[in-house]
Amino acid sequence: MSALHPFSLLAIAAALPAFAWILPAPTGGLATAGLALMLPLVPDPRWGVRVVRLALLTAAPFWLFLRLLHDGPTTVAIGGRITTMVASFVWLVAVLSPDRLVEAMVARGWSLAVAYVFAATLSAVPVLKARARRIVEAQRCRGLSPRGSVANRLRALRALALPLVLSALHEVDERTLALETRGLGAGVPRTPLAAPPDRPAERVARWALLLLCLAALIWRLA
Amino acid sequence: MSLARVYIYLWPVPHGSWPVSVRLLALIPVAVAISLALSAAVDAVALPLFLDTTGTILATALAGPVVGIAVGVLTSAVNTLRNPTFWPFVVVQVIVALYAGLAARAGLFRSLKTAVPTGLGLGVIASLTSTPISYFVFGCTTTGGIALTTALGRALGLPPLGACFFGSFVSDFGDKAVTFALVAAVLHALPRRTAARFPLALRAIGAT
Repeated sequence: MSALHPFSLLAIAAALPAFAWILPAPTGGLATAGLALMLPLVPDPRWGVRVVRLALLTAAPFWLFLRLLHDGPTTVAIGGRITTMVASFVWLVAVLSPDRLVEAMVARGWSLAVAYVFAATLSAVPVLKARARRIVEAQRCRGLSPRGSVANRLRALRALALPLVLSALHEVDERTLALETRGLGAGVPRTPLAAPPDRPAERVARWALLLLCLAALIWRLA
Repeated sequence: MSLARVYIYLWPVPHGSWPVSVRLLALIPVAVAISLALSAAVDAVALPLFLDTTGTILATALAGPVVGIAVGVLTSAVNTLRNPTFWPFVVVQVIVALYAGLAARAGLFRSLKTAVPTGLGLGVIASLTSTPISYFVFGCTTTGGIALTTALGRALGLPPLGACFFGSFVSDFGDKAVTFALVAAVLHALPRRTAARFPLALRAIGAT
């Protein structure tokens, strides 16, 4: 499944929740949830079971809170839709490689700005999260106490957040210099090194999914 | 005008000059990472805050609403990879960026006395915006905390939509005030020379 073009994977993950919300509840939502939970099992059931388990664990709290707030039929109606959304995205994250997506975007002629921003964000988040944890530990070593009254905690929050945000902002200068050095300011389109193949059948299938969604929407509104 | 420029961000750029400066482009991923990394600091102090719009507000105060909207949309996209229910709330991030842009142009980050009430105002607007999404799409079950405060609202006798607003309001009101105060503190702590490299930073703190 991960051999599919990244745009095809995105189209499937977007179409299933769209159908879940368009088709009448609860049948529509439950059917799409079933489909979304079946998706990971298609190529390799052993790998797929882990993905399905993660999807079910992510969706479970929503069912719990829905039951807390709503009656049975409403819980099933909304729960089916939310499960479809959760299962589709958990599957997408498991099969879609960000590098392949960026290559596909560049090959399709998307702005390099979009490709850079997307890839740089995915790499920057874990780096900054690790730095945040180090700052918390360092400030604790210096005697910072993040407990007590709300005012005390807010002061502690300031002492933890400021170094993180200021150091991140200083990094912007370094990144700017690195990007300009690599010629990103020139606006010249980049040549993708390994663009994922986009087969005609996949392109047709993506258009078919879009048309099906539109048809279902018109049918529901009519 | 702003929406037209966001369109340029997302569409293939023809050969020639870039629609945004490289510095502002470099700011976007850093600001998104700030929004997501601050959860570690929040966990350490054990306060019921999200601070997930910090990057959006900070980027807007530094570089204007176009960059802020890009940061907000990307924050929602990355959050969606962790929890898919974040995506429909991308609208809230866009509204936060537009509101923060107005606040920055009015110089409302000049002190905590102006930043905190402005953040409280955003808390009301954000909860008004997120309530219909939360109610009609998710039945008010987006996060555990909001679901529990919604249940509390129902127990207090509020109608379903009112209880949903109560849940969103409780989570957003204080959170946005703290976020605005934090961004004001960051802008004032930035060296003037660094702040001057961004188009809106000095105006946001009332220095120009």
